[in-house]
Amino acid sequence: FDEAFAVLGYNVKSSDMAEVAEKIQQLDEAMGSFEREGLSQLLASDAVHYNPSDLCSWLESMISGLNPLSGFESSPDPFLDSSTASVNSCPPRIDLDFGSDLISIPGEAIYPRPPAKRARYPVSVEPPPAAARSLLVDSQENGIRLVHTLVACAEAIQQEDAELAEALVKNIGFLAASQAGAMRKVAAYFAEALARRIYGLRPPAAAAAAGDSGFTDDALQMNFYEACPYLKFAHFTANQAILEAFAGKSRVHVIDFTMKQGMQWPALLHALALRPGGPPAVRLTGVRYSSRDGSAEIGWRLARLAEDVEVEFKYEEITVADSIAELDSSMLDVREGEAVAVNSVFELHRLLSRPGSIDGVLKLVRELKPEILTVVEQEANHGGNIFLDRFNEALHYYSTLFDSLESGAAAAAAADGSATDEDRLMTEVYLGRQICDIVACEGADRVERHETLAQWRARFGSRGFTPVRLGSNVYKQAILLLGLFAGGDGYRVEENDGCLMLGWHTRPLIATSAWK
Amino acid sequence: MAGSNEVKANESRMVVPLNTWILISNFKLAYNMLRRPDGTFDRELSEFLDRKVPANSIPVDGVYSFDVVDRSTSLLYRVYLAGGGETELKWGVPETESPLSATHVVPVVVFFHGGSFVHSSADSAIYDTFCRRLVNTCGAAVVSVNYRRSPEHRYPCAYDDGWTALNWVRSRRWLRSGKDPDKEVHVYLAGDSSGGNIAHHVAVKAAEENVRVLGNILLHPLFGGEERTESEKRLDGKYFVRIEDRDWYWRAYLPEGEDRDHPACNVFGPRSETLDGLPLFPKSMVVVAGLDLVQDWQVRYVEGLKDYGKEVKLLYLDEATIGFYFFPNNVHFQCLMDEIKSFIHS
Repeated sequence: FDEAFAVLGYNVKSSDMAEVAEKIQQLDEAMGSFEREGLSQLLASDAVHYNPSDLCSWLESMISGLNPLSGFESSPDPFLDSSTASVNSCPPRIDLDFGSDLISIPGEAIYPRPPAKRARYPVSVEPPPAAARSLLVDSQENGIRLVHTLVACAEAIQQEDAELAEALVKNIGFLAASQAGAMRKVAAYFAEALARRIYGLRPPAAAAAAGDSGFTDDALQMNFYEACPYLKFAHFTANQAILEAFAGKSRVHVIDFTMKQGMQWPALLHALALRPGGPPAVRLTGVRYSSRDGSAEIGWRLARLAEDVEVEFKYEEITVADSIAELDSSMLDVREGEAVAVNSVFELHRLLSRPGSIDGVLKLVRELKPEILTVVEQEANHGGNIFLDRFNEALHYYSTLFDSLESGAAAAAAADGSATDEDRLMTEVYLGRQICDIVACEGADRVERHETLAQWRARFGSRGFTPVRLGSNVYKQAILLLGLFAGGDGYRVEENDGCLMLGWHTRPLIATSAWK
Repeated sequence: MAGSNEVKANESRMVVPLNTWILISNFKLAYNMLRRPDGTFDRELSEFLDRKVPANSIPVDGVYSFDVVDRSTSLLYRVYLAGGGETELKWGVPETESPLSATHVVPVVVFFHGGSFVHSSADSAIYDTFCRRLVNTCGAAVVSVNYRRSPEHRYPCAYDDGWTALNWVRSRRWLRSGKDPDKEVHVYLAGDSSGGNIAHHVAVKAAEENVRVLGNILLHPLFGGEERTESEKRLDGKYFVRIEDRDWYWRAYLPEGEDRDHPACNVFGPRSETLDGLPLFPKSMVVVAGLDLVQDWQVRYVEGLKDYGKEVKLLYLDEATIGFYFFPNNVHFQCLMDEIKSFIHS
C-alpha cells in the first residue's frame, strides 16, 4: 500500500493508482450528467457505503450504484429477487422506519457486492503497536498534577521502589480530595487499586463481592446500560449486523455468549418480526456464568415478547461456571438448515487470561459455521504484561469514560433523563471493578484483558475469519440512536475499516466488529 | 457536456501529480454527493466518509499529540508537540506542566483546518498529518482547533471559536517559551482555505482587543465577492473546483439573505471594515496556488493589506492546485514549509 496515502487514511496500492484514477474519471463523468438534474445526492441517500478507505471498491460501488438510477425505475424487492441478484442489479431498497429502533435492510447476503477487491488481512499474530490516545478534559491544571502523581506511583511500582510507591499513594488521597467530579472518582478508584497492589491485598473475588453486596456482574451491567449509551450502541450495531446476515433465512439460531439480562434481544425480535417477507423461526441460546451472574427469568420474558410480536421463538439457557471456554459443542443444540449467529459483548477478552482458551473458543465458533460472529469489545490495550503501560492506558481510558458519565449526568439533570443517580453510582462501581482488576491483579485472576480493534483484527484474521463490513446505514442509525440519548453531545461514532467505534470526543471507547 | 468534463479531467491530470489528483478528485466527488441543492448538508454521511485518526501521545517521527476538551466552551484542541528525547517511561503522558522551553522561543501555531467552513475536523487524517509535518519541518508547536462548521453553525461561529481558541492557547502555561518563562505564548495564526479566512478575522479581533499575534499564515485562504473575477471565469471547473461550489459554501456560511460582499467574505470590498488604528495587526504570509480559481480574491486581499501599510508577503506557486500540501513529495510542499519556517523564526 502506498504510504503517503495510508497516513491520510486511504488504502491504495501504488500499482492500482492509475486504475483508481480511471474509476474517478468514470464516476465524475457519470455524476456530471446527474448533477444537472440534482440527482447526485441520490448516491448519498439511496446507496449504502462500505469502507471508504478502500478507494477502489468504494468507487466501484458508486459507479455500479449509478447505473440503475438513470432509468428512474423502482427496483424490485431484493428479497424476492435473490436468485437473480448480480453485480449490476439494483441497489438495496431502504425501508424507512417501521417505528422500531432497527430498520430492516437487505444486506450482503442478498446483494452481492462487486467481487473486485476484498482486502486480505495479513496473517500475522503480532498486533500492531497501539497508539496511546490521550483525551484530556477539564482545563483545570490541578487535575493534571493528580494524573502525574498517579503515573509517578505506577512508575515506582514498575521500578519496584516500594517505599516511593507507598509514599505517593498516600499523597494521591489528598490530591484527589481537592478535585471535583470525574477526576476525583477516577483517582479514587486508581488509588485504591494501586494500594491493593502495593500492599498485596487481592480484590475480593467477584463471587464473594456479589454475595455480600448483591451487586452481581449482570445487575451492575444493567445500571451501565441505563447510565450511558455504550451498551445500547453495542447491542444496536451487533443486532443490525445480525439482521443483515439473517436476510432471507427462515430458521435462525442466535448463540449469545453474554446473555446477562437479555437486554439485547427484544429489539432484534421486533426487527425480525417487522422484516419484509415475515419473521424467521428464532432459537436463542444464552450462556450465563454462575460465578458472576444472578438468576433471572429471561426466557419467560422473551417468550412473552415473541408471542406478542408473533415470532416463533424458543429459548435455551446454558450455564457455565466462569468462562466461555467451558463451553463445548456437545452442549449446543445445532440443527441443520438453521442460520447461526454468535454474539459476544465484552466477554472474549477474559479468555486471554488463560493461554489457549481463546483459540479453543474461536475453533468452536468456526465449527458452528455461523453466518456472522458479532463482537463488541473495549477499545483499549489493557492486556499487556508491562504494568506501567497498562496503567497509563487504563488511566486515560477510564478518565475519558468517567468524564462522559459526568457529562451525561449534567445533561440528564438539565433534561429529563431516564437514568437515575443510582444507575450512575452503580456504573462507577462496575467500572471501578474493571480498574481494580487491570491494576491490582495478575495471572489468571486478571481477566479484564481488553485489546484494541487492531489487535482483535489480527487475531481473527489469522484464525481464518473474514470481516463483515458495517456500512453507512448502520452508522447513520447509530447516530440517530445517540441523538435520543439525553447524555450530552460529546459522543462520536467513527467508521474504521468496516467496523464502528463509539467514543467520547476523539477517543474511541468501544468497537463493534463482525466476522464470518 | 460529458465530453468537456473529460477534457477538463485530462488537462488537470497532466499538471497535477497523480496522488494529489486522486486525493482531491475523490474529495470533489464525495463532496458533490453531500451538498444538497436546497443548501442543506448530509452531515452523517460526511462524518462516515471522513477518515479520522486518533491523537497519539507516543512520539511518531518525533511528534506526539493529544486532545484537550475545554469543558467551559466545549471546544476541542489537538495539540502537537515535538518529543521523543525523553526516557521511555515518560512516553504516553502529555506534558502539560512545564513550559515548552526555558532557553529559546518555540513558536505556537494555532491552526484552523480548511474545508470551506463545512468539511473536515481537527482529527481528520489529512489535517493531522499536515500538522505533524508542520511541527517537524518548522520547529513549532501546533494547536489545531475543532471549530464549529456550517451550515449548522453559520457566521460568526467559526470566528468566535477562533477567538476563544486564541485566548485558550495564550493562557496555557505549558505553551510558553523563552528565556523568561513568564513571558507570553508566542502565537501565530494559520489556516488553509476557510481556515485562512478565519485566521484573518481572528487576527483583526485580536488587534482590536490589543492582543499580540506574531504572524498570520494564510494558505490559499477563502475570500470572495459578488463580482466574477477573471481567474474565477478562467479556471471554473478546471482544477477540481467550480464557481457554483464556492457559491454554495458561502451561502451555507454567511447569514441567510446575505450576499458575497458581506465583509466576512469580501474583506476589502464595498462593505469592508477598516484596519486603521490597529497597529497590532500582525505581518502576514499569503500563499496562492496558481491553479486556484479564487486567486484574484487572494491577490486583492494582499493588495488590501498593503494599502493599510500592513506587512505582507505573497508566495505565488504557479502550478499548484488547492490541496497541494497534503502530499509531501513535491516541490511546492518543500517550498511552502521552508517559507513558513523562516516566517515564524524571523
